[in-house]
Amino acid sequence: MLLSLNWLRDLVRFSERPEVLADRLTMTGSEVESIERPGKNLSGVVIARVTDLSPHPSREGLRGARVTWKGKEAFCVTGAPNVAVGDLVPYAPPGATLADGTALGVRDFDDWRSEGMMLSAEELGQPSVATDFGILILPEDAPEGEDAAVWLGLDDVILDVSVTPNRGDLLSLVGLAREVHALLPSSELLPGSDFPLEGGEWPVSFDGIALQDRGCPFYALGYAENLRMGPSPVRSRVRLALSGMRPISNVVDATNYVMIFWGQPLHAFDYDRLPARHILVRGASEGEVLRTLDGKDRVLVDRDLCITSGGIPVALAGVMGGEATEIVPGTQRVALESAIFAPDRVGSTSRRLGMRSEASNRFARGVDRCKSLPALRHALTLFRDWAGGDVAFLPRTSGDDRPEPRTVTLRAPVLKKLTLKDDMDHAKAVLDRLGFEELSRSVEAAEFAVPSWRLDVGIEEDLVEEVARLDGYDQVPSRIPSNLHHPGLPTPEVRTDRRLREIAMGRGFTEVVTYSFVSPGSLERLAFPPDDPRSRPLRVANPLSAEQSVLRPSMMPGLLGVVEHNLRGGWRNAIRIFEIGRVFLRQGEGHVEPSRLGGVAYAGKDRRFGEEAETFLGVKADIEALCRGCGARVEFHQGSQPFGHAGRTALITVGNVSLGYLAQIKPSLARELNVEEDLFVFELDTAPLMDWGKALFPEPARYPAAYRDVSFLASEGVPVIETAREVRRLGGERVASVRLFDVYSGQGVPEGQRSLAFSVAWRHPDRTLGEGEVDSLHNALREALAARGYVLR
Amino acid sequence: MSARIQDVEALREQGRQEISGSSDTEALDTQRVKLLGKKGKVTALLRLLGSLPSEERPAFGAAVNALREELEQLLERRFLALQKAQFARQEEKDRVDVTLPSRGRGWGSFHPVVQVMHDVIDIFSGLGFSVATGPEVEDDFHNFEALNIPPSHPARDMQDTFYMEEGKLLRTHTSPVQVRSMLRWGAPVRIICPGRVYRRDSDPTHSPMFHQLEGLLVDRDVSIADLKGCLEAFASSVFNRPLDVRYRASYFPFTEPSIEMDVSCVVCEGKDPGCRVCKGTGWLEICGLGMVHPNVLRAGGIDPAIYNGFAWGMGLDRIAMLRYGLRDLRLLFEGDVQFLTQGGLA
Repeated sequence: MLLSLNWLRDLVRFSERPEVLADRLTMTGSEVESIERPGKNLSGVVIARVTDLSPHPSREGLRGARVTWKGKEAFCVTGAPNVAVGDLVPYAPPGATLADGTALGVRDFDDWRSEGMMLSAEELGQPSVATDFGILILPEDAPEGEDAAVWLGLDDVILDVSVTPNRGDLLSLVGLAREVHALLPSSELLPGSDFPLEGGEWPVSFDGIALQDRGCPFYALGYAENLRMGPSPVRSRVRLALSGMRPISNVVDATNYVMIFWGQPLHAFDYDRLPARHILVRGASEGEVLRTLDGKDRVLVDRDLCITSGGIPVALAGVMGGEATEIVPGTQRVALESAIFAPDRVGSTSRRLGMRSEASNRFARGVDRCKSLPALRHALTLFRDWAGGDVAFLPRTSGDDRPEPRTVTLRAPVLKKLTLKDDMDHAKAVLDRLGFEELSRSVEAAEFAVPSWRLDVGIEEDLVEEVARLDGYDQVPSRIPSNLHHPGLPTPEVRTDRRLREIAMGRGFTEVVTYSFVSPGSLERLAFPPDDPRSRPLRVANPLSAEQSVLRPSMMPGLLGVVEHNLRGGWRNAIRIFEIGRVFLRQGEGHVEPSRLGGVAYAGKDRRFGEEAETFLGVKADIEALCRGCGARVEFHQGSQPFGHAGRTALITVGNVSLGYLAQIKPSLARELNVEEDLFVFELDTAPLMDWGKALFPEPARYPAAYRDVSFLASEGVPVIETAREVRRLGGERVASVRLFDVYSGQGVPEGQRSLAFSVAWRHPDRTLGEGEVDSLHNALREALAARGYVLR
Repeated sequence: MSARIQDVEALREQGRQEISGSSDTEALDTQRVKLLGKKGKVTALLRLLGSLPSEERPAFGAAVNALREELEQLLERRFLALQKAQFARQEEKDRVDVTLPSRGRGWGSFHPVVQVMHDVIDIFSGLGFSVATGPEVEDDFHNFEALNIPPSHPARDMQDTFYMEEGKLLRTHTSPVQVRSMLRWGAPVRIICPGRVYRRDSDPTHSPMFHQLEGLLVDRDVSIADLKGCLEAFASSVFNRPLDVRYRASYFPFTEPSIEMDVSCVVCEGKDPGCRVCKGTGWLEICGLGMVHPNVLRAGGIDPAIYNGFAWGMGLDRIAMLRYGLRDLRLLFEGDVQFLTQGGLA
């Protein structure tokens, strides 16, 4: 809300500087986003009368004007076509400055010497105030010789006040005046103007108003005729412009002026175009259509509240009028609506149709019912004064313009509990200034009547807030809450995340955060088959773009996107990245959001810089380290992923639980990603890693082991880990470990076989094994292997 | 006889010269053999002992032994000196240009927002808050209704929401976790809820996905003073230096009273009227807070006549941007490796 301090001063007297007021407003909940002085550059502009006009002897379109003010006289040249002799105009003599800071002087137009200039609305800084092209012609009552900027009200200070959704009452001058009065202790509220009640009866017949929906508790209609459409007075136009409303015509401006003043939105119907001499407010029928005054057909639903006449909707209550009944330049007779519509109804309609306006904003926040009739009378007065209309001041009404009285009790112990202070006299004084009347008081409690405009106040805590915000929260002391019921321990989830990210970073992975939503295309290229839950991601109904329209069922689309982003940006080196976050998977009717660690290791296009090469087994070591750090021993099994290299994909388990996968990207996908180099990806569920913090350290062995090597041929089709297990099993209980140290295939090794070399550690728990014992154990192992068909080497 | 003693003296002089004249340990070894070896000159003198008259033998023997000891000492000293010089030469040869780039894999790097999140968790853990989590795909009840935001409440305008095709929504704040936690654990409760949240908004300071951390404390007799105490502990440590704070009244549907906390500008400290970050106000909005609205307690199954509490919510991305001097929020989610690996250093 743009608050004109000049206008505000009509309602409340205060001496504080605008900056002080702005700070008070900001600190008490209505943030002032800017303080503007629209006329700060204007100086020396006077109201002058044009006494003579003559055409320039040689330059077409230019005229010379003689202007006078306070016995002074000047001659200036103008190109404006709208000036006539006798007009009062804003005149800037040499030395004056315009709104944009231009300083005026004397200028020659061929033979003529022009002293300063007459000004347009634009040169005064308010182009929207202009009614026709040219000089801003002032009315006859403008005081000749006075400062034009001051008389026009351009010497204003405008505060841009950000009003919170609960404070609809502050979307009005009267509301802001009350608030300012409460905020500035030395301020004084000025009595408001009275508006006439006489001249009541309507000169035309009208059947009445019926309210059929609880969404409209009060509806009033005023009447005016013989309106002469035209501009509203220039000073009112300035006020509207400074308040952010574009001046349009006297009738429209009057309703806007009143809305800003009282906070009550009004709607003017062309009386002659109403389908019937009757108004019915009701809920819309599903599918009913209304063409609103922006020319669009709106299909209504039954929660919409509409104004109808003769069975036809003529306005969407509080949102927008209908085109068929809007006032037009030829309008003679006007029915003016001032009504109360339920905030939730106006809110839902305006939100559904995307039609937000000054009016719907106010209704959605709540309009003070007690202001409906004063606002209507004010508007009718303006119709009379600005448009020369004949006005019927006695409105037709339906419903009650007085809301149910509301009271709230404030208890001293509650005030004390929340703010550590319980000065009830002080609380009463603060609330009194805000318009809350103390109805009764006991030792520990006071009952207050809530003023009609404070629709946001309904519970005791609201009163505490009023007292605390006006005093300032800095007045409340600070303390660390005691009463610790539980220690603040990080959860297993947090502990695991931390451990994983620290290990990953330590192993050269950079942490990234990618969007939870991805593009459908980034999933399609991962080629999940229809029976894979990842092929049916959750979809956003109203995404910002298709690129962000599905929730990721895997960490891969985002991480591969990061690789692409970096490659596009010219990055040529290795990339190691990881992300910990959730993926979204359908499960039954609902969905689950498991937490995942996803990673990518990419060799890079330029590998001259001495980094270790990325290999499948290297990344496997990273995964083992990540899991080991969480206390988990993992196993790798030959497996597959739709996007994984058929021969280089592992499924990973911990205990008997599936943990995730490690894969080199399929060559076809690598080509699509424009990487020819090895690119490894992995994705692990973090939940199975949380419960492994119970790892034990076994007692160290007391006696040294003896080492012997064994080497033999084994089928390539059998995983090494199985062969190693077999060696262990055949070796018996004295085998402390079996470690592979060489794999060889090629010359001397038959096709389909490979030579494996293991180092076997032999140990006895209770004594050192003698050389002879070790030899016989090892020979027994060799014989057992040979007996199993292995060709020893 | 005197001629033989002279032989000893001559050999002493010769030995001294040859030892000091040896330029490396190999030459010195040769000298050692020549002087003290089995066929060496000192040994040869000793062999003469038997040919001397018995009365001369002790003196001559003592002189030769003294010579041997002296030469041994000289050899040892010379050896150590030569060895030291040799090592020095070797070290000079093995010199590494320490400004050469390091080898192998370096440290990765942290993401600014995640780092801030963990740091803030630590701050509040120390104040007894436990971490709680909840789903990111939420329902209307937990995200709005239970938080005192009925449909068509104007506050819904404050948060433009992503809806899912099935009618659920992407949580617009981490507050639904508060509701879930109250329903699950009841009162008293003291939790923080960090996580991703989503709003339909995208520009340099708004991302459709961002991170919040909310806190909730419900107990008997909770005061605004307790809330201030917790948040001031946060403000005094999250930027690694204490900051001034101020409190402004505000509005949130789920708290009453509602407050916003500003901290003194971390960039200009209130000294630059043209400051881009605080727009010259000297203050930065950092956190919304307030006393939990009784309706929210009720929705969480807690009796507001017995318990009350406070809650706050802060944007972690904004804190990260302030802490690490970032201008464009969206950069945080692009994963630019150069950007991420070069930052985070003082």
